Amino acid sequence: MIDYHALAPELLLAGTVLAVLTVDLLRVEKYWVAVVGLFGLFLSFIPVLTLGFCDTLTFCEDTGTRFLFGESYAVDSFSLVLKALFLGSAFVAVLLSVGYLESDRFWQGEFYFLMLSSVLGAVVMASSRDLVTIFVALELVTGPTFLMAGWRKGDPRSNEAMLKFFIIGVLSAALLLFGMSLVYGTTGELTFAGIRAEAAGIRGGDLEALFTVGVLFTLLGFAFKVSAVPFHFWTPDTYEGSPTPVTAYLSVVSKTAGFVGLLAICYLAFRDATFLWGPALWVLAAASMTVGNLAALRQTNIVRLLGYSSIAQGGFILVPFGAAVAAGVTDVQLEEAFFATVTYLLIYAFMNLGAFAVIIAGGNRLRSAEIGDWAGMFGYAPGLATMLAVFFFSLAGIPPLAGWFAKFVMFRAVLSVGGGWAAALAIIAAVNSVIAFVYYAKVVKSAFMDPAPEHVAVADLARMPTVPSLQFALVLTVAGVIVLGIFPGIIAEIGELTKTFASGF
Amino acid sequence: MVAVTAGDWFSTPENYVFLAIALPLVFAGWRVVTSSNVVHAVLYLVGALGGSAALFLLLGAEFVAWAVVLVYIGAVVVLFLFGIMITRAPIGVEVELSHPLRVRISAALVSGALFVLIAIAALTAFGSESIPEAEVTRTADIGQSIFERFVIPFEVVSVVLLAALVGGIVIARRDPSPEEIAAGKETL
Repeated sequence: MIDYHALAPELLLAGTVLAVLTVDLLRVEKYWVAVVGLFGLFLSFIPVLTLGFCDTLTFCEDTGTRFLFGESYAVDSFSLVLKALFLGSAFVAVLLSVGYLESDRFWQGEFYFLMLSSVLGAVVMASSRDLVTIFVALELVTGPTFLMAGWRKGDPRSNEAMLKFFIIGVLSAALLLFGMSLVYGTTGELTFAGIRAEAAGIRGGDLEALFTVGVLFTLLGFAFKVSAVPFHFWTPDTYEGSPTPVTAYLSVVSKTAGFVGLLAICYLAFRDATFLWGPALWVLAAASMTVGNLAALRQTNIVRLLGYSSIAQGGFILVPFGAAVAAGVTDVQLEEAFFATVTYLLIYAFMNLGAFAVIIAGGNRLRSAEIGDWAGMFGYAPGLATMLAVFFFSLAGIPPLAGWFAKFVMFRAVLSVGGGWAAALAIIAAVNSVIAFVYYAKVVKSAFMDPAPEHVAVADLARMPTVPSLQFALVLTVAGVIVLGIFPGIIAEIGELTKTFASGF
Repeated sequence: MVAVTAGDWFSTPENYVFLAIALPLVFAGWRVVTSSNVVHAVLYLVGALGGSAALFLLLGAEFVAWAVVLVYIGAVVVLFLFGIMITRAPIGVEVELSHPLRVRISAALVSGALFVLIAIAALTAFGSESIPEAEVTRTADIGQSIFERFVIPFEVVSVVLLAALVGGIVIARRDPSPEEIAAGKETL
């Protein structure tokens, strides 16, 4: 008997995907397709809530973690929190797309269909607890985004973005699948619980070398997906060339989905192999922060700047993983590291989506993504410039904006591990936080203090309204960043819930 | 490491069959990457895939073998050929496909190192094991597990294919001109 309540978010979202495709056939204004999509996302959110608050509802039979299909699919607090995050971020991403798609000639209905299919993949990803499901879910997350990256069909840069992303994506999928097949071959298990149980017996045996190769290839595949340095080459070009809402989607939903897969695999399947993935991810975290931030310093295009900034932020998210490098980490320290990563992901979604919302709103007016053209924005669009400051300072980690709490828990997790390696990573992260502040502050300073460039028609721009859907997205994200920054207890509470996941089944 | 001695190896008839499949397979794989004619490369790919299907048959995995033949040789390769034909890509010797020597050497070094690494790891892991008497996998069992244990991946794959189809059509088709849209003949 299948537990339909546990599967309700996925089923409703799959229904929405098909509904969007059907509504697109009707001869209606295309924004109705987006409205149907938004409604469907909202509808799928309801069962996430009823499952989450199951113990307080009378009609819901509280069974704790629900396992389906032989432990390969789990509905627990971790997966529910991340499903909520995916559905919420997708809601904002659709809002960002509406005005953007209306502003030029785009195929609209199919765009929302692809975006929602990708979200469905992310939602399945959060619950996947075996290799097959997680791989297929990851393909559903990335597959539609390849096409969305090329949605500006006439623009060669968009074509380049699509092609680079596609080729690197296929390569990483092949690496990932190869790694997974070796893990399956050596352990004979597909579920994470089974792999963990088998892996204990592999240590020191004949199979260990092949198992190690398998683990490393699996990590490599995910490293491409989360664009960790040195597997980040596609990121800046793809981010710059894609339509900006797609970039926002890639840097938040698709990236978070990669991290969720990495979390599930590392903390469940390879739980007893921290000595393998700890050092590997230590290197990736340090390299991503340093390379991402140093490259961002030199950018003159604001989308490219956010591309490098998101590589660097990915490094910060990897830091708690890397902290596991210290030998003999206890369960409590691992839980702390896990908590830090989830918290960072939740806050990152708000501030990065918000930053992209500002860039889309500004880009709509200026028709330019050059930072030089953004100078003096405070003069003609004070609201937009203020929000730019809010999101950029939050990304830099300035209190009382939400970003500080993300950084705070990240440092706390690393320092709680202690030891030379963890301390070194903490120092690298601290230096990088300072570097990051420089380029975020530079943009904000230019928008507030510098005079507007001559070719910018200030008077026209001042009268230009922001599209309602974009206003809505901005309000949602600004509220999130400020409220969570002042009351970080809310997010801590949610992160705390997911900790049970890190302590195993 | 490998526990079988040379004498054993030559007295087992399966090994000759294996060699007869594996050597052409390696050759075909080599030619796929070295031939400078795209159509030739695709035809060598057919050989390489056919060889791997035959290896699966030798291992007693009939279903996988036929899946490789049907899906890869039957569909994917044919798609390649159609793609080359329809996009009017140049058929014949392609100079741009040849990379400079420096790139080729580094590619050869990387793939060689990877091969040695994986081969050593695989030999240490399974070199001394013999494959148990192959149980025949019934297609009915595979169907059963697809619709019970693996129903989620199965359904997810169908969405992937649908998305690829819809998105592929949008990317590939010609956009209607502004006049056609204004006349109401086409919509975006």
